[in-house]
Amino acid sequence: MKGLLMQCRMEIIKILRNPYYVFWSLLMPIVFYVIFTRIFNNAFDNDQEWQAHYLMSMTTFSVMGSAIMTLGIRLVEERTQGWSLFMRITPISTSAYFFAKMVGQTVIHILSIIVIFTAGGFINRVTLSPLEWLLSGLWILLASAPFLALGVLFGTMKRVDTVSGVSNLVYLLLALSGGMWMPLEIMPTIVQKIAQWLPSYNFGNGAWQIVRGNGPDVSNVLVLIGYLIIFMVLSSYIRRKQEAAV
Amino acid sequence: MEEVVSIEKATKKFKDKTAVDELSCSIQRGEVVAILGPNGAGKSTTILMMLGLLEPTEGKVEIFRMDPKEKAVREKIGAMLQEVSVIDTLTVKEIIQLFRSYYATPMDFEELVALTGLKKEEMKKRADKLSGGQKRRLGFALALAGDPDLLFFDEPTVGMDITARKRFWDTVKALKEKGKTIIFTTHYLQEADDVAERILLFHKGEVVADGTPHAIKNRLTKQSVSFIENSEVPLDEIRSLAIVSDVYVKNNRVIVVTEQTDDVLAYLFEKRLGVKGIEIEKGRLDEAFEQLTKNKEAI
Repeated sequence: MKGLLMQCRMEIIKILRNPYYVFWSLLMPIVFYVIFTRIFNNAFDNDQEWQAHYLMSMTTFSVMGSAIMTLGIRLVEERTQGWSLFMRITPISTSAYFFAKMVGQTVIHILSIIVIFTAGGFINRVTLSPLEWLLSGLWILLASAPFLALGVLFGTMKRVDTVSGVSNLVYLLLALSGGMWMPLEIMPTIVQKIAQWLPSYNFGNGAWQIVRGNGPDVSNVLVLIGYLIIFMVLSSYIRRKQEAAV
Repeated sequence: MEEVVSIEKATKKFKDKTAVDELSCSIQRGEVVAILGPNGAGKSTTILMMLGLLEPTEGKVEIFRMDPKEKAVREKIGAMLQEVSVIDTLTVKEIIQLFRSYYATPMDFEELVALTGLKKEEMKKRADKLSGGQKRRLGFALALAGDPDLLFFDEPTVGMDITARKRFWDTVKALKEKGKTIIFTTHYLQEADDVAERILLFHKGEVVADGTPHAIKNRLTKQSVSFIENSEVPLDEIRSLAIVSDVYVKNNRVIVVTEQTDDVLAYLFEKRLGVKGIEIEKGRLDEAFEQLTKNKEAI
């Protein structure tokens, strides 16, 4: 138990010291937020709503990024450097180790949400009701599960170069086509149609609905759960195949 | 005697290649055992099986009379493995404390630091910024974190300079004094000769020799008595002695090859042959090593 708590703490410290996390998950979303709400903000009539909407876009963008990239790359690094093997001769179990990673990642997501929400509050005086802040934060935290599963899936790749290339590309494509960078309405119809089925759009849309006083659509929840199951099944299938190969 | 490691007819096959072939051996508490052998002899595979990281295809490997994968076993073992590098952004101190937290009865932090020779300023360094030698010291510290009874070192001194190597083996000797069982592999035969009480020589997945370094050398290498060439010494007479297997002259020295050097010396003095510059040549471990692994059929 002591080991598990310590492991959770160390996982959090590790992520915080990772420059990619600080850059991609904290700095970039805030910079984008300033650019698209303070500098190019003429296109939209309803400023207040746009500012809250885009704050949600950037928070989901951030959390999605650390879930896919930090976790996936880290897992591959640990395996290629023999670290995962080494952990297996210590008394801490593989599942406890994995659990600690998930807890660490979740705490980091909470931190990202608080930092970016606070930044939004200061930069644009985004005003939501306390319930809306709470619900949107909770949504972002819980609905990030499929992306953690995607990170774990990417974590089964053999080489660090491959995983960082693939996860970067998938991350940016998902963010762009899911309407996180710019509203889906200004995108071509074909992208809009595809987006309905992407995890990123469904992730973002839940939060966008909450700040408009609605709740996430049922379809958002269903699509995300679907992806969660697919990613989990795929990664456990691949893991089993890799273990059998030894 | 308490049996710490027992391996019974363990075989490990990788696809169609047999890395370890019906290997049996047993290691008692407090022994310091060196596993020697050429590359591909099955040393690392055997260590990985003892650690429970590889499952034998056939046969049985037990540590403390339990499956190596048992948590109770992992509480009491520690290892330095090849190809494990600490890539963390955590500091040395943080990683050591993290590892100590895994074990029910960890080694005292100060004692651990003193044993591994990590310096104060190194404790605050991030693990991914350490030099090769510092990384090895950290690896050593992690192996000791749980105050284990059984230690595995797979090629521990690769990449260490002479001072570090000496320090490492001194610590190993100190650990032996505390009653720890230590199993290590090395390419440096001198290290096995100096540190180990027992050598297991591996060849093609089997143990081809098992004994003290002294016994292995005696069994496998020739010893000789040599002295400065002297026309008064009757070489033919010496050659005819039952205890002498060969006599020849090399670089102005007479070399008498024998298994009983003491008896040859007694003979030389008894006959008052007036020989000078006597030297006794003991076989070296690398000769034994070479012999064993080159022509195995000879054993």
